[in-house]
Amino acid sequence: MEIFLQSVVSGVLTGSLYAMIAIGLTIVFGVMRIINLAHGEMVMLGMFGAYWSYVLWGLDPFVSVVLWSPLMFAGGMLAYRFLLKDVIPKGELNTLLYTAGLSLFIANLALFFWTGDYRTLNLPYALMPARPFGIAVPIALAIAFGMAIALTAALYVLLSRTDLGRAIRATAQDPQSAALMGVNVQQISMITFGLGTALAGAAGVLLVPSLYLYPTVGEILIVKCFVIVVLGGLGSVPGAIAGGILLGLVESLGAVYVSVAYKDTIGFVLFLLVLLFRPAGLFGVGRT
Amino acid sequence: MTRILAAAGIALLLVAPLLTGNTFYQHLMIMVLFSTLLGTSWNLLGGFAGQVSFGHAAFLGVGAYTTMLFYLKLNLSPWLGMLAGGGLGALFALPIGLICFRLRGPYFSLATLAVAEIVRLVALNWEQLTNGPVGLLITTLPQISIAGRAIDWESKIPFYYLVATLAVLAMTLIYAVSRSRFGAYLAAVREDIDSAEAVGIDSVRVRVLALALSAFVAGVAGGFYALYFRYIDPDAVFAISLSVEMVFIAVVGGLATTAGPIVGAVVLVSVAEVFRERFAAGHLIFYGLFMMLVIRYLPEGIWGRLRLLFRFAQG
Amino acid sequence: MPHILKLLAAVSFSLALSSGALAQDTLKIGAPQPMTGPDAPFGDKFLKAYSMAVDEINSQGGVNGRKIEVIIEDHQAKNPLAATVAEKLITQQQVLVLTGGRASGQAVEIASVAQRLKTPYMVDHPSADIVTAKGFEWVFRNNPTGSIYPEAFNKFISDVPGAMPKSAAIVYDNTVFGKTIANSAMTFLKSKNVAIVNDEAYPVNSLDFKPIMTKVKASNPDYVLMVAVSTTDAILMTRHAKEIGLTPRAFVGFGGGFGVVDFSKQLGPLAENVFSSAAWSGNPNEPITKEFYAKFKAKYGFLPKEHEVEGYSAIYIIADALKRAKLTGNLDADREAVRQALLKTDMTTVFGKVKFGNWTGPLGDQYTNQNIYSPEHSVLAQWKNGELLNVWPKSNAETAYTFPGS
Repeated sequence: MEIFLQSVVSGVLTGSLYAMIAIGLTIVFGVMRIINLAHGEMVMLGMFGAYWSYVLWGLDPFVSVVLWSPLMFAGGMLAYRFLLKDVIPKGELNTLLYTAGLSLFIANLALFFWTGDYRTLNLPYALMPARPFGIAVPIALAIAFGMAIALTAALYVLLSRTDLGRAIRATAQDPQSAALMGVNVQQISMITFGLGTALAGAAGVLLVPSLYLYPTVGEILIVKCFVIVVLGGLGSVPGAIAGGILLGLVESLGAVYVSVAYKDTIGFVLFLLVLLFRPAGLFGVGRT
Repeated sequence: MTRILAAAGIALLLVAPLLTGNTFYQHLMIMVLFSTLLGTSWNLLGGFAGQVSFGHAAFLGVGAYTTMLFYLKLNLSPWLGMLAGGGLGALFALPIGLICFRLRGPYFSLATLAVAEIVRLVALNWEQLTNGPVGLLITTLPQISIAGRAIDWESKIPFYYLVATLAVLAMTLIYAVSRSRFGAYLAAVREDIDSAEAVGIDSVRVRVLALALSAFVAGVAGGFYALYFRYIDPDAVFAISLSVEMVFIAVVGGLATTAGPIVGAVVLVSVAEVFRERFAAGHLIFYGLFMMLVIRYLPEGIWGRLRLLFRFAQG
Repeated sequence: MPHILKLLAAVSFSLALSSGALAQDTLKIGAPQPMTGPDAPFGDKFLKAYSMAVDEINSQGGVNGRKIEVIIEDHQAKNPLAATVAEKLITQQQVLVLTGGRASGQAVEIASVAQRLKTPYMVDHPSADIVTAKGFEWVFRNNPTGSIYPEAFNKFISDVPGAMPKSAAIVYDNTVFGKTIANSAMTFLKSKNVAIVNDEAYPVNSLDFKPIMTKVKASNPDYVLMVAVSTTDAILMTRHAKEIGLTPRAFVGFGGGFGVVDFSKQLGPLAENVFSSAAWSGNPNEPITKEFYAKFKAKYGFLPKEHEVEGYSAIYIIADALKRAKLTGNLDADREAVRQALLKTDMTTVFGKVKFGNWTGPLGDQYTNQNIYSPEHSVLAQWKNGELLNVWPKSNAETAYTFPGS
């Protein structure tokens, strides 16, 4: 029983990590229909931001996230304005390949300046896990989980209660009609991309005490992201969260009860099945 | 005009390796032609039929493993092995097509990515069949004679002519397809599946056929890879980066054009080599930048743009 | 600042000195290494090690009056690229001999190319048994193979009273490295009737080891053996094992990730007392090795381990062969001469003794030109206070081992 509980707890916590990364990707896809292959690199930049601000200024990442999110937001908007805006009209495939080039560029620039050395950020208060009821709960992960929930709640409020949120959702549903209703679609796209980048960066900041960082870590993260985003339904934020947690659970339980070697395969098979039989995601909330 | 270019191209192809004694340059030529083969394969499905696949490495890998295993375990001649590789690739594509073609747009692309990853993981773990991560190695290629002379597998020349023949055949196939009724169906499906169905085109059958042909070419290319590099492991032949590269060759060259892939191949192989020479530590930075610039300013591909300019020049 | 220097160093090492009189005089050694991509940190280690050896040898007059040079080419940890750059080094740069490779997949490609193009390849670090088990007469290897890595651990549990595990869990990555070592360790344990309670292969570069460690904890193993070629896997695996609350009598790591300084830097107190079998980096009790450690640390600021010692020694082995080879200026003849010279190698480097021979490995592989002293080149070390110190065999030990009940 203890094993089962431990697997579930580990799965949910790790899954929430995955979910955090995926939210940014799904929003951008939902509104702009682009799959941003450079998303992993944005997470990586957030991770490095947290790392440097910790090492150089002693800022705890759970505090510096407040600094890095707006910075990444601005960065994302600039990236949209100067890089992506002119590429998007050239088609989905071209945009995707463009982001692939961008991903290569950013990752290797980071590699050049910061070297490929593996780094971790070890918070002194999070060295050993808490053990409620004998179940190990890593502290940094638990805090990240909590903050992720808070961030998602904030995002939900933004999307459902504010005019900006409504404009974003309208653009996601139908850009032409939204334009007819007076929404500045270009501006919304720019803001959305900034938002997606900010979320990716924030995810990186929250993640870094629980994982590790090096410049090319993005390539591992991005594939997981796709699986989650599809599981949860492309374009749906709650879907991404649920999808992430689900994937975490499936991998955790799969590793313990089925096979460790095939644990990633299970995720992909699930991914395929969802694509085929429930393309709107397991919860039916995604765009088809 | 096209015929003149094609004839000139073939003539150049025939003599190219003999113009230089430098085996490294010959190797680069082989890489260009190999990349052309990959780009052509992808182009058939992605460019002409408009179905963007991110898992084409799966077919290449299947071809590579088939050829390797047939040669190492059954002593089957590599020529037949490559054909078998292509055949198995195509066969393998059938269920994949039937599954994935129920999806459209980005969903289809993601599904192909998932399939390729699953295949890679299976190859990695199914050791009895594939030898797992240790991979398969060819130490000696068979004694084969053509016109009475034994082929010297240590030289690059036989490989060059082999891949050149394959590339020319593949491009001829594409050319024939583009001129045929089948090609018209593909174009219709690419533009709008529903309208195509409305005029009576069986879009699933058309797409599956395109996929099978595309997979056949990729499988044969995989067989060539196995024979030329002599060593394969799951991460080398099933990698996502390989799938992405295939897409890139076709797009940079020019989608839905016959000559696009060869232009794409020439540009990419040279650029990669030059950057590695001149920028050592940071070469991938410039490669990424190059990718971005090409997509931004030449979205129809280099050959695509040249063709537009030709047409413009002709009035 | 250091970045520019590194760029300059990398550029100067990888551009062929094809123009100018220097080319005729220097003896060229080619080394494909991962200089970009995920394995870049390792390529860097070899760059440092090679440069130090080259500088020393050249400042002492070079080899028979001629300077040596190492040309590094980046293969980005991709197999086909490894083949490409190996060919380039052989045909374009016209090197006399190759070394390097780093990861096993690339090394196999390079060995295949070297064998076909008749150029000697003196393997310095890649451990896949297959590289010297295919009868390639042009390929030589100084470092131990993967199946030899567990030797010191095997000796430890056999010789130290009470150390034989009652049961063992083994967790390893799904690469040729992981599988070979795991296989070798398990074969030995099975021969001693030790129960293997977990045999888990995980996908390399996993983000989460908690499920695996939960599974392992359930079997309550006496020893937990971990194999990781990737440093990140090694670190994360150990951390998660301790978080889940695994308390075996011993944690034994095998392989790259457990023997690098990052391991203890990142894990801090969690690394304490973890054993590492295989991270042989020379016998620290040997004066020449000790001297090398001091020199290296003084120049680069950190203690050299496995990779650096292997890279440094490789250059010395090659230089020794170059000195004995009769070089006439005809490339093909010279490469054969170097090969003949390598066959007669019988020397001691900071890594240890080296003499190439044909013999059978622990898993039955028939080796060609594998260092006959390799079984001695496995050491069991333990992390203590942030330092990796050898504990077994006694002749190589720097300190006493810490082990419950000892």
